[in-house]
Amino acid sequence: MTDPVQAPILQLESITVAGRGTPRLAAVSLTLVAGERVALIGPSGAGKSTLLAVANGLQRPDAGQVLWQGQPPARPGRGLRRRQQARIGTLWQDLRLIEELSVQQNINAARLAVWGWPRALLNLLLPIDTAQCRALLQRLDLDPVLLNQPVSSLSGGQRQRVALARLLRQDPVLLLADEPLASLDPRLADDLLGLLLAEATAPRALLLSLHRPDLLSGFDRVVGVRAGRVVFDRPPAGVDATELRELYAGTPPPS
Amino acid sequence: MTALRVPRLAAPLWVLAPALVFVPVLLLLPGLSHGGGWDLIAQFVWAAFTPSLDPLVLGSAVQGLGVTAGIALLGWAASLVLGLVLGVLSSRTAWHTLTGSAWPAAVIRRLLAIPRSIHELLWGLLLLTVLGLQPAVAIAAIALPYGALVARMTGDLLDALPTRQLEALRAAGGGPVGGLLTALGPPLMPQVISYGGYRLECALRSATLLGVFGLGGLGAELRLTLQSLNFRELWTGLWLLLAVMLVLEAVLGALRRRWAMPQRLGLNRSGVGRKGREILLAALALLPILVLVGRALEIDPAALLQPHPLPPATAMDWPAVLALPWPLLIGNTVLLTLTAAALAVGGAPLLLLLTRPWGWGRALVRLLWALGRLWPPPLTALLLLFVLQPGVLTAALALGFHNLGILGRLLLEATEAGGGPAEEALVAGGSGARLALLYARFSSVASSYLAYGAYRADVILRESVVVGLVGATGLGSQLLEALSSFAWDQIAALVLAYALLTVLGEDLSDRTRRRLLARRSPSNHSVDAVSA
Repeated sequence: MTDPVQAPILQLESITVAGRGTPRLAAVSLTLVAGERVALIGPSGAGKSTLLAVANGLQRPDAGQVLWQGQPPARPGRGLRRRQQARIGTLWQDLRLIEELSVQQNINAARLAVWGWPRALLNLLLPIDTAQCRALLQRLDLDPVLLNQPVSSLSGGQRQRVALARLLRQDPVLLLADEPLASLDPRLADDLLGLLLAEATAPRALLLSLHRPDLLSGFDRVVGVRAGRVVFDRPPAGVDATELRELYAGTPPPS
Repeated sequence: MTALRVPRLAAPLWVLAPALVFVPVLLLLPGLSHGGGWDLIAQFVWAAFTPSLDPLVLGSAVQGLGVTAGIALLGWAASLVLGLVLGVLSSRTAWHTLTGSAWPAAVIRRLLAIPRSIHELLWGLLLLTVLGLQPAVAIAAIALPYGALVARMTGDLLDALPTRQLEALRAAGGGPVGGLLTALGPPLMPQVISYGGYRLECALRSATLLGVFGLGGLGAELRLTLQSLNFRELWTGLWLLLAVMLVLEAVLGALRRRWAMPQRLGLNRSGVGRKGREILLAALALLPILVLVGRALEIDPAALLQPHPLPPATAMDWPAVLALPWPLLIGNTVLLTLTAAALAVGGAPLLLLLTRPWGWGRALVRLLWALGRLWPPPLTALLLLFVLQPGVLTAALALGFHNLGILGRLLLEATEAGGGPAEEALVAGGSGARLALLYARFSSVASSYLAYGAYRADVILRESVVVGLVGATGLGSQLLEALSSFAWDQIAALVLAYALLTVLGEDLSDRTRRRLLARRSPSNHSVDAVSA
């Protein structure tokens, strides 16, 4: 039995996910140890989102094994599975905030994994854990006045940060992000990436998919995916322009 | 500055708040129980698994069901014709185009509030006393209030449509009738079809209910078998009715998706013509069916014009009418309505939440809701009388159970359509299935669900008459009593009181609904703005 502290944060072993015709992932293996920040690049439809969905437990692989801190995923609905999921935080491309609730309620929703019914209901009634939420907003450069506002009244950049605040409030070990920079202007994209990289220090690890070859320098490793297979997996310094061109060959260039 | 902040109820709690009514209801129930009768309830439940398969029982149930379905179909068809004509007549746009002035529309609209405010059962019982027992009575009882409802919906839809195309056609020299049909017909069609289909489901329920009060069809047998404790025969009828209702709902749902869905490919115009032809063919196929059903039921429309000799009218005794305990009657009616509405509106999300993690639990809840929809509330009330004392609460439970079935189905459809990704995100973060449902899905459906709940409360107020037979429930029981003793002075005063109360309730529920829906739109607007 591997010691959960020593074991890699995420271990994917020969993961295969069937698709229509060609498999969406074909025998993909990937390991993230604590403190590692890994970028996932590749053309649209290469399998990046599927890989992230397998990593956060949303997609069950047809073959291969997922290990979270050395443990295989428990059956859905079990308490152990909920504790495992609580250690995995995902920053969704469409954010998936709850529009009708306030910023504070949304951020606190990250604690639903550990809260029972009383606290969950209290969060819908009263502002609770205001100090923690306030500190998070300040850390992300947001005005704490926003805590009482409904999420639907925020701007795009503010929403992105609220989603990140929710992720940090969850305090996960494995951070996953599915093209978080896609809909942001260059300055906001730089800011957000900087925040994510800064948060992903040991004992945490970060796996992030993106479309921007110019933003790879802050990562420890870059994994190139094409047609459901890992094409390369090396530090950003070792990734050259030819390799990138081949990775995106035959698809519209990344913008 | 530390101002005292009033806690604001978050969206998911609005959905659950009506369920607080369960607290007083559950506290009061033990006091209402009269001790006996539980063995009867047990027999009743057991009979559900062992319905009578005697060919005689089956034959008579099938025949009764045929009559009920026939009444529903004919009443529905008549209400559509009536409603579309009256709807156009109550549309400001139509009057404006045809005559140049719009005031007759407002007058007709006001007048239509009267037939609408009177429940089909009251229409049925009133017509029954005037015309005597004949199948046409039940059909007219459905057609009149339903027609007025369809008219209101059609009029509202017509006036909400943009009139630019119509103005363009008129400016180009088109005639008023042709212009109206060409410009407003096509956009009106999908909504009318969708709503019309829904009315057919309601008509089946209403026809069953009218049967319970002896106006023909399966309902009478259901009541007789219940009162004579022949539960196995009762379940034969109920299961058959359930099968017919579920098939009808499935067929109408499929047709709605096929005909009334907005075109997914805007360029594919050929589909519009094909759908139009299909709808026309279906309407044409319906005509001979209606004629055949009419023949089979031996409907004689002329008989509707021949009043039945009334029993000698007793002298009008207005002081006695005034001496009725009006505040109590009205208070009980309102209490009954609110309790039943809260039970139904709050019960549906509560049940959904409780059974969330278990697949079989959800299946069971679905079956319970289907039974609730199909079961005429007076039958539930009679069943409850086996164990409970008559009164407002007993009546509210019966009415609440019926409406729970209707609201539950709606809530299930709404939650299946919205809130999915956010719920998935919460589950992926380790939240339990119930809390994720509460936070994500209930938030997204809150305002539209409650808006429908407000509309439903208004329907429940009208419906409160049907549980009048369990006694002491306010206007409804008083009215049923007056009807059976031909006390015309009381009947007139009570129907008037009902109509007034309903019109008031309708106004209140309209306001609530508009407020709720207005709360929703700004957030949707900003969602669109962000994703655009």
